[in-house]
Amino acid sequence: MNIAVCVKHAIDEGELKADSSGRPLLQGAQAKMSTFDRNAVEEALRVRESKGGTITVLGLGSQDWKKSLKEALAMGCDRAIALSSPSDLDTLTTSYYLSRSLQQKGPFDLVLLSEGASDTYSGLVGPMIAGWMDVPFIGYARKVQVEGSNIRAEVALDDKTERVDAVLPCVVSVVSEINSPRYPTLLQIMQASKKPLEELAVDSLKDEKAPQVVSKVLDVAVQSVNRKKVLFEGPPEESAQKLLDALRKEGVI
Amino acid sequence: MSDVLTFSDNPQLAGELASAAASIAVGAGGKVFSVELDAVREGVPRGPVLLLKSTDPITGDDSRIALAISEASKRMPNTIVLIGSTKLGRMVAGRLAVTGRMCVLADVRGLKLEAGTLTGVRGVYAGKFNAKVGAPLPCVALVPQGAYPLPDRSAAMVEEMVVPAIPSRVTRVQTESSHASAVDLRGAKVIVAAGRGFKTKEDLALVERLARVLGGAMGASRPLSSDLGWLGEEYHIGLTGVYVRPNLYLAIGISGQLQHVAGIKDSKVIAAINKDKQAPIFQVADYGVVGDLYQVVPALLKILGAG
Repeated sequence: MNIAVCVKHAIDEGELKADSSGRPLLQGAQAKMSTFDRNAVEEALRVRESKGGTITVLGLGSQDWKKSLKEALAMGCDRAIALSSPSDLDTLTTSYYLSRSLQQKGPFDLVLLSEGASDTYSGLVGPMIAGWMDVPFIGYARKVQVEGSNIRAEVALDDKTERVDAVLPCVVSVVSEINSPRYPTLLQIMQASKKPLEELAVDSLKDEKAPQVVSKVLDVAVQSVNRKKVLFEGPPEESAQKLLDALRKEGVI
Repeated sequence: MSDVLTFSDNPQLAGELASAAASIAVGAGGKVFSVELDAVREGVPRGPVLLLKSTDPITGDDSRIALAISEASKRMPNTIVLIGSTKLGRMVAGRLAVTGRMCVLADVRGLKLEAGTLTGVRGVYAGKFNAKVGAPLPCVALVPQGAYPLPDRSAAMVEEMVVPAIPSRVTRVQTESSHASAVDLRGAKVIVAAGRGFKTKEDLALVERLARVLGGAMGASRPLSSDLGWLGEEYHIGLTGVYVRPNLYLAIGISGQLQHVAGIKDSKVIAAINKDKQAPIFQVADYGVVGDLYQVVPALLKILGAG
């Protein structure tokens, strides 16, 4: 099995602060491997444990993004490909370059990624990569099993669950419930620095299919929370009564 | 001039998209169509219908839906395709974008056409910030449920288009409807949700009882359905779970992580019970009770005559 897994180095939303005008302080903000991507890496490791093969981890970024690739190497991936871009790219262009590198560094039997990034949660890069590569896409898998040249998966959609089959090569996005990601040991973290990490400039991957259009982020501002924030403290019976009174007054019970 | 095509596998959202499309089309001077697949679904008001048919059923297969919509959009100038932000919708949008070389705006509200660019506002960083985003036409936009009202009535017009046979890439061996609770949560007027503050699975009976007395549904934060496994995934409310919009959201023993709050923001009133006065849930709540849930919930039940 030649397995690929795509990870995103994402701003840690929990740590992100706003400046006095409400804009996010992105300069120097903490970033980490997108939360749910750890589940995709874990699943790649489990597939390799049962079927053998090698795992290539890929990531696209402009600064510090190799940290997430190194973390994936420490978790057990075999090699990393770091796609370097001069600036942040939108989903269409990101998926294009990822698919180009997958074609150039492959062929891969299975491409894994998470259901969505923790910063934007759009869930688009997976189906887009499948589109660029013209292969099947299985989204929101909570169980996957490779059998010969086929993959079976159990997927959880909004209103139904499905058992699906597809022929490899295939792109699969996994939900975070699929597994519990392992944490690398100190020794594994040290050993990871000896594993191959290749850097590729995105411009070197361009061909005639490259998207001509881009979507843009025009402005970002902190969400205002317009909640009343009334707190009741004291004896439980009294607080309970006050809460019910307030909710009745609101007309919601 | 530009035409607007809309599609959602969720019938309610399909109706809301018709309103979204109408709001854009006013300025765009184009036509608006609600895409239906294989046969027109009844029951939900929507715009003029464009019924897409092929030799095989299209419904439920993301790559078939994407290619069918792509065929339809090719025949219209500068199309804007609005797709409901469901899981299936995201898969359709991704493949459609590549097929038609179009950008996608994800989870946008407040759509506007400004000088040939479609703009909208979406939550980013687990809903902590809002981003205004824009894409040149033609483009795709994913629109979440609840961002637009349902239209008053359906348009009567139905146009039919036959699209070429599209091979399916994924075989659906078995399909099962989800446990009803996820569906219940999306439409519930009152939701009582449990979090890590509960000590045992059995104690969730308190939440179930309170939900029943208030005529609502029970939900949970992620640890209960994932790490602890006390409840099925269909109860999980949050970024990667169910988005809810009740009149009352009552969070009990839930600390209020960003990922959870992202799924409850559109609730009319948020109330919380937590023993930790510093819990982040109180920062996003209208009413909070600082106290032990094992005392406060029985007190609530008693006052409501169900103790």
